[in-house]
Amino acid sequence: MNRRMYAGSAALAAAALIGCGVSPSDSGDIELSDEPVTITLNWWGADSRTQRTLEAIELFESEHPDITVEAQHSDWSGYWDRLATTTASGDAPDVSQFDQLYLASYANRGSLLDLDTLSEFLDTSALPDGLRGSGEVDGTLYAVPVGGTPNGVLINKSIFDEYGVEVPDLDTWTWEDFDTAAQRISEASDGEVRGVGPFGGDSFTLTVWARQHGEELFDETGDVVIDPSVVASYWQKALDWIDSGAGLSAEQLSEETGVPLEQGSMATGGIAMGFSPGAMYTVHAAAMPDSELLIADWPTDSATDEGFQYLKPTMYWAVSSGTEHPAEAGALIDFLINDERVARIFGTDRGVPGNPAAQEAIADDLSPADRTTLDFTASITERIGDAPAITPNGASDIETIQSRYFERVLFGELTPEEGAKQFLDEIQSGIDAAR
Amino acid sequence: MTALGELRALGTGQRRHAIDSDTRDNRAAAGFLAPWLIGLLLITIGPMIASLYLAFTDYNLLENPRFIGTDNITQMLSDERLASSLGVTFTYVLVSLPIQLAVALALAVVLDRGLRGLAFYRSALYLPSLLGSSVAIAVLWRLVFGKEGLFNAFLGIFGIEGPSWVASPDTALGTIMALNVWTFGAPMVIFLAGLRQIPRQYYEASATDGAGKWRQFRSITLPLLSPIIFFNLVLGVIGSFQSFTQAFIVSGGTGGPADSTLFFSLYLYQEAFASFRMGYASALAWLLLLIIGASTAIMFWTSKWWVFYNE
Amino acid sequence: MSDLFQKAPEATETIVPPAERLGGRRLHVRRGVHRAQVLRHIALMVVTFVMLYPLLWMVASSVRPNSEIFQHAGIFVDTFDFSHYPEGWNALSHPFSTYLVNSAIVVLGTIIGNLVACSMAAYAFARLRFKYRKAAFAIMLITIMLPFHVLIIPQYVLYSQLGWVNTFLPLIVPKLLATDAFFIFLMVQFIRGLPQELDDAARIDGAGHIRIFGQVILPLMIPALATTAIFTFIWTWNDFFSQLIFLTDPSLYTVPVALRQFIDAQSESDFGAMFAMSVVSLVPLFLIFLFGQRFLLRGIATTGGK
Repeated sequence: MNRRMYAGSAALAAAALIGCGVSPSDSGDIELSDEPVTITLNWWGADSRTQRTLEAIELFESEHPDITVEAQHSDWSGYWDRLATTTASGDAPDVSQFDQLYLASYANRGSLLDLDTLSEFLDTSALPDGLRGSGEVDGTLYAVPVGGTPNGVLINKSIFDEYGVEVPDLDTWTWEDFDTAAQRISEASDGEVRGVGPFGGDSFTLTVWARQHGEELFDETGDVVIDPSVVASYWQKALDWIDSGAGLSAEQLSEETGVPLEQGSMATGGIAMGFSPGAMYTVHAAAMPDSELLIADWPTDSATDEGFQYLKPTMYWAVSSGTEHPAEAGALIDFLINDERVARIFGTDRGVPGNPAAQEAIADDLSPADRTTLDFTASITERIGDAPAITPNGASDIETIQSRYFERVLFGELTPEEGAKQFLDEIQSGIDAAR
Repeated sequence: MTALGELRALGTGQRRHAIDSDTRDNRAAAGFLAPWLIGLLLITIGPMIASLYLAFTDYNLLENPRFIGTDNITQMLSDERLASSLGVTFTYVLVSLPIQLAVALALAVVLDRGLRGLAFYRSALYLPSLLGSSVAIAVLWRLVFGKEGLFNAFLGIFGIEGPSWVASPDTALGTIMALNVWTFGAPMVIFLAGLRQIPRQYYEASATDGAGKWRQFRSITLPLLSPIIFFNLVLGVIGSFQSFTQAFIVSGGTGGPADSTLFFSLYLYQEAFASFRMGYASALAWLLLLIIGASTAIMFWTSKWWVFYNE
Repeated sequence: MSDLFQKAPEATETIVPPAERLGGRRLHVRRGVHRAQVLRHIALMVVTFVMLYPLLWMVASSVRPNSEIFQHAGIFVDTFDFSHYPEGWNALSHPFSTYLVNSAIVVLGTIIGNLVACSMAAYAFARLRFKYRKAAFAIMLITIMLPFHVLIIPQYVLYSQLGWVNTFLPLIVPKLLATDAFFIFLMVQFIRGLPQELDDAARIDGAGHIRIFGQVILPLMIPALATTAIFTFIWTWNDFFSQLIFLTDPSLYTVPVALRQFIDAQSESDFGAMFAMSVVSLVPLFLIFLFGQRFLLRGIATTGGK
């Protein structure tokens, strides 16, 4: 290879790096273009969401003949790989569906647009304040929450009936009631079915557990503030269930990591009770048509803090800071969250909508399962507390880290206390490194 | 850089024409190699250099990379997950690959000729390789190697109660190795093609000399197939060190349980895309390149004793 | 079952050396070997069954109601439900045929690219004595040693600046430029297995490198070319990551990208449709291999080697 050729390729490599990073677009005067424009809408999800979203796009285009919306969609993990790559190359889609895990990571690094600059086109006033706040990072609205869901306990009543175990009073149940019921299921079925399923490997249940004990995972500045002993007690709970036989074994729990919920022990009838985001009731109900499925609030103790429940945003809409058409992007999001026809098209596919008008619009033609989800969400919403801080920049991998330490605790490599401390240290150092 | 140096010195193992090159060949080579050279300079080298540069930066994908010197290398020295991922990867390369190649070679010999319906068997045995990276595998692997899975049902016939193979940290890596061996069809096909290059007359001649099947295999098949065995070995080593898809699919991208299937490439991917540490991931990638380069150089070096070319 | 085997295309027949095919020797041997043959068939059938079990399960799952898929590890279906096929075909933003055609275009382009460019480079490495040959060979191998996850962003930037994103070019052009060094190495090993005397004889007849390559070497390396074609086909057909990244327009999605869109961890997945379309996408692969293997296995014995 001669020198000139070598220099050529090095220049190319340098050129390849220039594109990295995003320059926020000038937010001086944002207005709708006079010319026809094309914007991209990017989401993850399975086929039914794809069909519904395409239908909504068609409706939007028919009302805005000058705006063409190009769809991009993929599966969950591919979605984030592609979004990172295109954002890194300054090629991000204009409007993207977001998850709270990644929201701060993108917002703090200047990849998302301040949506208050689009207030002329995007009206978020219909959303309840608590929910709208979950789209803010450091006081700036970077994403519009689509809806929120509490965490609940799914109860397979058919299993209770089959083994002659009485379902506890779900409105007043305590952790002791829960443990007893779980134990009795395991004993009555001779271990064929276990009382309770996975608990310990996801950040949603951890957050609710923490809030039952008056703690939060993160504070507003994005630091880890939870007391390690609370995380340890959370994992100890899982270990107790294993030891007493009330819960699945360590191996069975680990077997369920990363498994689609249709393959999980709840859907396949291996457990009588399981913790789950309320929004997933519908999916479970569809996966187990022959079982009677209930959903209830978490059990409590006399010492449990009021208002431990909160609405976890199911997903968001956000605008790339590199967009050339911010006004049109804002108009599209406005349409997606506020238009009642869209609400009817989406149904509860993206969770129960946060916009009350949208909830009303879909109320009439809900399936029984959707109706249950909606009622459950509504009943919990009456007693929710303040929304917790969203996952900070640098902690977007909390789910994998948590399940890794949980597994080490499960298999006895670490005690719950050791695991809790190392887990929180690793999260905090990730946050520090991202600053 | 020693790996590179050794590779250079050993090259393709040519002995007869080690040094000389004539101008006519130079000109012809430029022509034959033109597409490759253009691809190297325009497509391959640029991104490689870019990743080498990134290895010395703090790069979170969303903001511009920041040069930090050798910090990434210092960090690698005390990275426990890196150490454990190297352990997993080396175990995989040293155990799974030899088994896979042995199975592939054995079946290639069996399926080479002499039986009706071989075309069907070859295709059928090759099919799993087509499915190796499918999402269906994730679902399936738990059905086979889970606590209530088929494998335990099979063991149950002999009164053995097996553990949950996919979920126990001690056995999870074993199931991924099994998955790899299951896709032996790929090297098998290459062996089959190689076997066809061995002239029949050699076997006929040795048969008249009274050689048995096993002696024929050892004295004809193995030596004449050695360039292909060598090829499968080198590519197997490169591929196994980079092994990603199977672990990603079976563990849902986590490398679990408890990091027991955290392959090097999977760790690198997590760092790059889940944790937004592309700078560190690039440093990891170049570490892997050095490891693979050294392993390859060693294989080329040993090849002069056991690989026979028809030249 | 044995009927099935009898009907399978007999690719082996075409490559049995004429002497053996015509000779009476085979007839005499046949009776003595008969029992051994049956045993081998039984052994092979058992191995094949074990190997194919997961695939059979996948086919079975594609005709089961969604709620039953995870209840069974067996391959016998109680309730047949073929609706996954028509539903899966139309479940995404485009009919599944769009994805099959897109994958076919990419596959065809990459196969042609790999066959032409890699065989040329391989000839140079295996038969020409040029300057820096070993260094070039080492560099070629090194280029396949870096994990693609760290290359994807610089590559994306490069193709984005060339305006190639959302075209098939980033998937095909690199193959035309022999960036799949794996296949160069494969072909080098094959060419080096060919007797040098063939080249020498051609050279004495006054043939240059182009003629030696085209008329002597290429016909003899058909098994290697077939291997390359089959591998390229399968890898490209299954390659998810680069096709996901470089093709963002749903009308350009390929089969592996489309297949993942049936599954979502947070909402309702459509496993039946995913399995059904997986089966559909395996059919071309299986057919290609079944009919392609005759080229793969056309050994030197029938192509004029002495």
